[in-house]
Amino acid sequence: MSLAVLSTPSRHGPGPRRSTVSTRWVHAVNAPLVKALHHPWVESIVRLSAVEDALVALHPLLSLTQVRARVLRIVDETASTQTFVLQPNALWLGAQAGQFVRVQLEINGRRVERAYSLSSRPGTRRIAITVKRQDQGLASRHLHAAVKVGDVLTISQALGEFVLPSVPPSRMLLLSAGSGITPVMAMLRDLRARRYQGDVVFLHVCKSQADLIFAAQLKAIAADFAELSLVVHYTAGAGPLSPEVLAVEVPDLAQRSTWMCGPTGFMDAVSGYWQREGINAPLMREQFVGAALLPSTAPGTPVNVSLISSGASFTTWGTEPLLVQAERAGLSPKHGCRIGICRSCQCVKTSGTVENLQTGEVSSAPNELIRLCISTARSDVVLAL
Amino acid sequence: MSFAKPTTLSREQVAEFEREVNAIRDGVMNNLGQADVDHIRAMIRISRASEIGGRALLHFGMGPLSWVAGVLALANAKILDNMEIGHNVMHGQYDWTGDPALNSQTFEWDIACDGEQWRHSHNVTHHTYTNILGKDRDLGYSLLRMTDEQKWKPRHWFQPLANLMLAMGFQYGVGSHDLEIGRYKHGAMPKAEFRARLDRFLTKVGKVWFKDYLLFPALALWSAPRVLAGNFCANLIRNLWTYLIIFCGHFTEGVAIYREEDTRNETRGDWYIRQLSGSSNLTGGRLFHIMSGHLSHQIEHHLFPDMPAHRYPEVAPQIQALCRKYGLFYNTGSLFKQYLTVMKRILTYTLPPKRVAV
Repeated sequence: MSLAVLSTPSRHGPGPRRSTVSTRWVHAVNAPLVKALHHPWVESIVRLSAVEDALVALHPLLSLTQVRARVLRIVDETASTQTFVLQPNALWLGAQAGQFVRVQLEINGRRVERAYSLSSRPGTRRIAITVKRQDQGLASRHLHAAVKVGDVLTISQALGEFVLPSVPPSRMLLLSAGSGITPVMAMLRDLRARRYQGDVVFLHVCKSQADLIFAAQLKAIAADFAELSLVVHYTAGAGPLSPEVLAVEVPDLAQRSTWMCGPTGFMDAVSGYWQREGINAPLMREQFVGAALLPSTAPGTPVNVSLISSGASFTTWGTEPLLVQAERAGLSPKHGCRIGICRSCQCVKTSGTVENLQTGEVSSAPNELIRLCISTARSDVVLAL
Repeated sequence: MSFAKPTTLSREQVAEFEREVNAIRDGVMNNLGQADVDHIRAMIRISRASEIGGRALLHFGMGPLSWVAGVLALANAKILDNMEIGHNVMHGQYDWTGDPALNSQTFEWDIACDGEQWRHSHNVTHHTYTNILGKDRDLGYSLLRMTDEQKWKPRHWFQPLANLMLAMGFQYGVGSHDLEIGRYKHGAMPKAEFRARLDRFLTKVGKVWFKDYLLFPALALWSAPRVLAGNFCANLIRNLWTYLIIFCGHFTEGVAIYREEDTRNETRGDWYIRQLSGSSNLTGGRLFHIMSGHLSHQIEHHLFPDMPAHRYPEVAPQIQALCRKYGLFYNTGSLFKQYLTVMKRILTYTLPPKRVAV
C-alpha cells in the first residue's frame, strides 16, 4: 500500500533530522562536486549519467546524487506482508519516525515510483520498509516476487510531515488500520528508544490474528514498556471499528494527541467523529493512495487543470486536447507540431487521469509524461508546468 | 522532378490504410519492455567505451597505427552518440521508460548542434512538414536545389562544391539550420530572436571546440598535435557518414515532394502516405542499421518517429507488404545505388531549368 505526500502537518512541528557527522562530511564534499558536474560546460565533456553509471559499475551503492540501499534481509510479517531491511549509502540523511521514502523500481523497462512508510526506528544506519502485496499492485508484487537479498534499490530521502514532535505530548494515541501500521510502528519504536515517560495507547485494527503485522515485535515492546497500552481490534471477530467503539476502547481520547494511518474511509470516519464531538485534541493523519485506476469522467464534464510552476488553473470539458484548452484559457504552453509527433509540449502530469486522443488509452499513473496536444483531461489534473 | 500527385487511393482506402498502419504500430508499442531499454543502454555503454578507448589511443598511443585505431574508435563513439542514441532518444523513443538519462526533452549530444534547436528544426519542422516545399527546411537545407520547383539562381552553379562543403562540415550545417538565416535576411525574423538563436548555436560550437580542440589536446601535452588531428579526423568521419545516411533518406530518386495546398486537410492516413512517399530506405545488415541509427529505415522512422528504432527492421516487412497491397512505392536500395541517385539529382539541378531534359 502506498502513501501520498499529503498529510496533516503536525502542530508540534517536526523534530530535528538526525544526521551523523560522517553524512554531513559526505554531503559537504558531494554537493559542490554534483554542482560542478551539472554545469553545462562540464556536462558537455562528461555527462553526469556517465559518471553515475561508472560509479555503480565500481560498487552498486556508489552514487553522487541518489540514495541507494542494499537489501540486507527480507522478513515475512504475514502471508502478504514483507519487511525489507535496507542499508542505505552515505547520502542518506536519516529520517524521523512517521516519514516515508519513495522507492524507485524498474519493472520491465519502466520506472515506477511508490511511497512506503519507514517502519524502522530513526537514528539507526539500517532502515526498513514494510510492504503489503496488493493483488493488482505493480510495485508491491514486484517487490515481493523479484527483489532478493543483496539487491540494491534507489530511494528518496525521507519525506513527509506525519512525524512525532521533538518533545512528544504526555498523552498519545497511535491509531492504525491494516498496513497503515507502518509509520506508527516507527513512532512506537522511537518513543521506546527515547524512553518516553508519558502515556501512549497503540490501537491497531486488522482482520484477524494472521493479518497482524509486527505481531512478535509488538508483544516484545509491550512486555517491557510500561507506558504503553496495546490494543488490537480484530474485525473478523469484533466487527469493524466504528468511532463509537473506539471511544469505548479509548475513553480519554479527547485528551490525547492522535497520530492515525489507515484506509481513507476509516480515517474519514474518525475525523468526522472528532468534528461531531468537538474534540480539540490534535489529530494527525497520513493519507493512503491506492494504485488503482482513478475514476475517469465522461467528455463534457467540467474538470479542473492546475499548473504547479505557474500557479495557474483552468476548467476544461475533456472534449479538446489540453493544449487547445490551455490556450483558450489565455496560457501559452510550449508546443510544436500539435499532432503528437514532436513532443515539444510534453510535460509531467503529477496526478489525475488523462486520455490519449490518438490511442484512446486512459491513464491515471502519477508523475507520468504526457503530450498536451493529444491528451485530454478525464479527471481533475495537476501538471508540472 | 515535380510535385507528387494526390494519391489515387479512395478516401475509404486511405482510412483503411491508416487503420492497418496503426495496427502495425500498436503491435510494437504495446509490447515495449526490458529488451528495448537494454538495447539502448548497451549502445550507450559501447559508445562510452569506444570514446574512452579512442581518446586513450590518441593520447597515449605511439605511431600511426594506434592513431588510426584511435580516430576510428572515437568516430564510432560519435556516430553512435549522434545516430542510434542521440537522434533516437531525442525523438522520445525511450520517454516511456521514465529514465531521466533517456528523456527526449533534456538529452544533449556530442555535436555542434544544440539539442533544443535540433528538437525544433528536426522534430517540429521536418517531421511534421516532411517534403512540403517551402515548409520542410530539410529539403536541400536551404543550400541545394533539389527539384524543378525550386527557383534556379546563379549560385547553384556552385552546388556540387556546396554539397561537398556541407558533407565535410555536416555538424555545422545541422547546427546552424535552426537559425533560419534566410528568413532573417528577408526581414521575417526579428533581430533579437536571430541573435538569441545565434548565441545558442555559437555557445554549443564553443563547447565542442573547447572539448575536442583545446582541452583534450592540452591534456595530451607534447602529443597535442596528434590528439588535435585525431579529434578533427574523427569529427570529419562522423560528418561524412551522417551526411551520407541523411541525404539518402529524402533526396533519392523517386521521393515525392508536396505542395502546401495539397496537404491542408490531411488525415492521419494522408500523413502516413506522405511520410512513406517522402522517404527512402537503405538495405544492409544489423551493424549497418545500428551505425545509421536505423535511419536506413527512414520510411519506418517517418511513420513511427517515437518507436524505438531497433524495432524498425521488425515492422519493415509489414509496411512493405502493405505498400504492395495498396500499390504504393516502397523506396529502398543499397547505399551505393541510393547515393548515386542523390548525386544525380544534385548535379541535374545544378543546371538552369531550360537545359534540363525532363
